[in-house]
Amino acid sequence: MSDGFWIVLIGALVAGSCALVGCFLVLRRQALMGDAISHAVLPGIVIAFLITHSRNTLPMLIGAGALGLFTAFLTSALERHGRLQADASLGVTFTWLFALGVILVSAFTGHVDLDAECVLYGEIEYAPLYRAFWGEIDLGPRAFWVLLGVTLANVLFVTLGYKQLKLCAFDPGLAAAVGINAALWHYLLMAFVSITTVGAFESVGAILVVALLIVPPNTAYLLTDRLWAMLTLSVILGALSSAGGYLLASALDSSTSAAIAVVSGMLFILAALFSPAHGAVPRYLRRRRLLASAEALAD
Amino acid sequence: MDTVQTKMTTQFLKTMLLTCAAGLFAFGCGGAPAPAVAAGGGIAHTGPLKVTATIGMIADVANQIAGEHAEITGLMGPGVDPHLYKATRGDLDKLTGADLILYNGLHLEGKMADVLVQMAHKVRTVQVTDGIPQDLLREPPEFAGQFDPHVWFDVSLWARVSDRIRDALIEADPANKADYEANAAAYRKQLEELDAYAREQIATIPKEQRVLVTAHDAFGYFGRAYDIEVMGLQGISTTAEYGLQDLTRLVDIIVQRKIKAVFVESSISPKSIEALVRGVQDKGAEVKIGGQLFSDAMGQAGTPEGSYLGMVRHNVDTIVGALK
Repeated sequence: MSDGFWIVLIGALVAGSCALVGCFLVLRRQALMGDAISHAVLPGIVIAFLITHSRNTLPMLIGAGALGLFTAFLTSALERHGRLQADASLGVTFTWLFALGVILVSAFTGHVDLDAECVLYGEIEYAPLYRAFWGEIDLGPRAFWVLLGVTLANVLFVTLGYKQLKLCAFDPGLAAAVGINAALWHYLLMAFVSITTVGAFESVGAILVVALLIVPPNTAYLLTDRLWAMLTLSVILGALSSAGGYLLASALDSSTSAAIAVVSGMLFILAALFSPAHGAVPRYLRRRRLLASAEALAD
Repeated sequence: MDTVQTKMTTQFLKTMLLTCAAGLFAFGCGGAPAPAVAAGGGIAHTGPLKVTATIGMIADVANQIAGEHAEITGLMGPGVDPHLYKATRGDLDKLTGADLILYNGLHLEGKMADVLVQMAHKVRTVQVTDGIPQDLLREPPEFAGQFDPHVWFDVSLWARVSDRIRDALIEADPANKADYEANAAAYRKQLEELDAYAREQIATIPKEQRVLVTAHDAFGYFGRAYDIEVMGLQGISTTAEYGLQDLTRLVDIIVQRKIKAVFVESSISPKSIEALVRGVQDKGAEVKIGGQLFSDAMGQAGTPEGSYLGMVRHNVDTIVGALK
């Protein structure tokens, strides 16, 4: 299969896995969790390096994964017990973690080139080149298998926990009343979010993950009022962004990640204008029709 | 309203699913197969050898040695800081279409090096610094093995790199061995002359004022090779901003030792160096910005600084002119 096919497929898997957890983040006003984690992994990387004295991917991934989980949990803990708004607790958590990382870099590792950009974040262009092998057999890009695993785990999680996640997102009070452990489901969701983001950072870089966690779910949010449809639509919109972004990047010879994010943004603008229920244009037309019929009645 | 909307949504979903499937199908069938690359040692190319190099300095040396026998492509262009390089869609083709890939290694290319090492299954990839003995590489005392990758600042080390590039070209294309050897010998002679020139020129600066102050710590090899003290506002990593302490320490040194100039780098914002100059002026001393040095990337193609030799010569002349 061609490299282009793999890029689109890997992009679609990132989009799918991000969209599934992203929908719940958007509903809980934690949409910027991906961006927060992309910054907050820095101390994890530095600590992993200080322990192992290695810049190889595995220790970096473990350090980043630990910090990803910590960010998600700390954010939620601040929100639950520290009486902060969701956005404020997110802001407090990732800025101080990133700053902590910067201090660790200046204090201990100033003579080594160590930042998330150079030791952790991958690039989707190169994802097809890094193959997985079974003995001597070429199984295809490693990122494909990693992201396929992440996507399937997310599908399983969202399907099995659909009822609980839905109630916790929309009506935590009712969820508690019917005996759902809201805290447990919340932390489970956070765990899946951090595994998804860090895993995807490693394969395709940060900007794409941050964009795909937020934009397709929000586009879907404008198109439907039903959770199952929002989940399905956001996965499809993400996959379309991946294909469209690949074509755009090929035409312009630009960064594929950026092109995918741009296409997903354009889909959002289309939805904001033309969504049947919430779009600006249909709303305007409806109001005009209403006015016209009101005038007709008055005559 | 609710049922109408559900119906609309369902219809919408169906359309989107179909579009999506059609799109993926088209990609799967229509995508051109990746260019076949010979496995192992065999040579499958027709016409000139296709060589892809990560940074401009490597591409330039490869060009000098290969002459007409190879087409050299560089991934990172003039002024591109390797730490900030972003791949484009076309870069993937430059890598998959190459007969030979040359890269610096020592973590200069970051995570991309993992990909290049792994690509060695299918295509000849060469880390051009792997011929340099480890005791000639600079490493921070506290982290053994985390070598400073900026080896091109020491021309004698870069001559070893040029040997490695020559050997890589010969392995990939033995038919033109004689030409590669002749070109490499001529180029090596130029490198040796440049090395001697740099050493002579820098030595003309009075010892007390022989200090190279730049924004970040890239010039370590240069300082060691040509006996000039090197001080940077920041470490090698540009993630952490420089601290107030770093600034005052440097200001004191500049004032005390009457250093005449500090330098900006082509691939890094001049802001921090400008702050340094103001700090020195506040203390009533005089220091000027001595000019722009090329550190992690060469100048524009076609200008003298667009080649490795020209870039080093420019740096040496700028430093000597401003500090003497």
